[in-house]
Amino acid sequence: MQFGIFTVGDVTTDPTNGTTPSEFERIKAMVAIALKAEEIGLDVFATGEHHNPPFVPSSPTTMLGYIAARTERLILSTSTTLITTNDPVKIAEDFAMLQHLADGRVDLMLGRGNTGPVYPWFGQDIRMGIPLAIENYALLHELWRKDVVDWEGRFRTPLQGFTSTPRPLDGVPPFVWHGSIRSPEIAEQAAYYGDGFFANNIFWPKEHFMRLIGLYRQRYEHYGHGSADQAIVGLGGQVFMRKNSQDAVREFRPYFDNAPVYGHGPSLEDFTEQTPLTVGSPQQVIDKTLSFRESFGDYQRQLFLMDHAGLPLKIVLEQLDLLGEEVLPVLRKEFADRRPAHVPSAPTHASLLAAKQDNNSEAVIAGNH
Amino acid sequence: MTASKLAVVSAGLTEPSSTRLLADRLSEAVSTQLAEQEYPVEVTVVELRDLAVDIANNFVAGFPSPKLAEAIKTVTEADGLVAVTPIFTASYSGLFKSFFDVIDNTALIGKPVLLGATGGTARHSLALEHALRPMFSYLRAVVVPTAVYAASEDWASGQETGLSSRVARAAGELAGLLTGAAADGGPADEDVIIPFEQQLAALRGN
Repeated sequence: MQFGIFTVGDVTTDPTNGTTPSEFERIKAMVAIALKAEEIGLDVFATGEHHNPPFVPSSPTTMLGYIAARTERLILSTSTTLITTNDPVKIAEDFAMLQHLADGRVDLMLGRGNTGPVYPWFGQDIRMGIPLAIENYALLHELWRKDVVDWEGRFRTPLQGFTSTPRPLDGVPPFVWHGSIRSPEIAEQAAYYGDGFFANNIFWPKEHFMRLIGLYRQRYEHYGHGSADQAIVGLGGQVFMRKNSQDAVREFRPYFDNAPVYGHGPSLEDFTEQTPLTVGSPQQVIDKTLSFRESFGDYQRQLFLMDHAGLPLKIVLEQLDLLGEEVLPVLRKEFADRRPAHVPSAPTHASLLAAKQDNNSEAVIAGNH
Repeated sequence: MTASKLAVVSAGLTEPSSTRLLADRLSEAVSTQLAEQEYPVEVTVVELRDLAVDIANNFVAGFPSPKLAEAIKTVTEADGLVAVTPIFTASYSGLFKSFFDVIDNTALIGKPVLLGATGGTARHSLALEHALRPMFSYLRAVVVPTAVYAASEDWASGQETGLSSRVARAAGELAGLLTGAAADGGPADEDVIIPFEQQLAALRGN
């Protein structure tokens, strides 16, 4: 089981004192948060990709490359990389380059984005969102697996004799997660390729995601990648902790009430009851996170949203200390104890390389007969 | 025979409200006509006034509270719907529209619907035809030909020419659709899977 954090990269005014960080401060804060993630023993740092204010991370591989140079173990990922409006050729190149620089500590999550105008800004049509995700990924998948690609599709200029460079590290493409909050087509896509499926469940009640993840698991088995309970599932989570749960509620309430996503709507109490948001003690966070397994089955990756809604860097770093000291050791143990032996861990560069070498030696043995 | 389910949505704001009064008259008339044809019917009323904050929160949060989810389920799973709103500013009330805005726009396809509206003066009666009917046409519901408007003076009208006859005619139209529709199965709640090869092939124009 991998644990990590994902960041949206929003620049939001702190509602308790009216201060707004500059873009410079926010970008540096995101880096500080990533370094903290490694320090407290998290496995993954993922950044969003946005192309409009108030968000800063328009260039994820630039940021992740910088973080790669300053970390040793952390897996660098995205939440999400826009498969609809980015050129799949550039995604193939950027992430292969990052993979080499980071010694393989790279994977990525593909998504369609949540801002309508990004499509026309990048010359695409939002009504084609799903077909773009399907065709662009089919090309990306091929570019990482075939040295010379001849390709023609609906949305991009054709390619003749094209080689995407650098080739993936050790001939092993980065592992891909497909993120979706709503579309069965994307669950189907993830299942078809045997890729991971990440359901960012943090803003909605669980019933919706149980259906979507259930569909992915069932189709994963259908396509012969393994049994349904071996499918590679990732989930979101959102927490705010203090030792005393009343302190957590009091401190987080102004941030909740004014949060860009859900502020000025349901009460903190209703929202924590109906969604994965946990505001309370570390033990409450542990209990809620373990309940995800009851709803969605054994899963491979848990990412927490920690730094949004104008929370100052200092508080976010305190939150990460609490996560690392009080929550993470317990969750690692409890999830490991509950996981049946046949359920795999999330693929990493090392595990994918080992699987590839196994396949090759089997192929050699088969060839000798 | 299992009972048909009739959902009644009332967007009246006062208590008691003439909108609810009209909604009850319409649903009673439908029930009576179905009873005469020996079709049992089960009526559930959704009062939007009680859901006003939940509806607003759904807009902000993106999902319904358990109470609102139950109301939406009542409407989408019903065999027929009676929907009644006060006319505000030449159209349905904002609350009425908001409730239907948070329901999936394919959830009412083919559903038999009887429309009603209330107002202080009969001058607003065509709002039913110019505002409500197009909205339900967009949702591809099957709206009965008679929509019933009740102005203040209608509550004192005579049997033959007045409100009662319009209520009876509209109820008869909805009952007719329900006795035809009652044999249908429940709504499909499954995600439709398009096999991936087919999605890829569609892009390649095969």
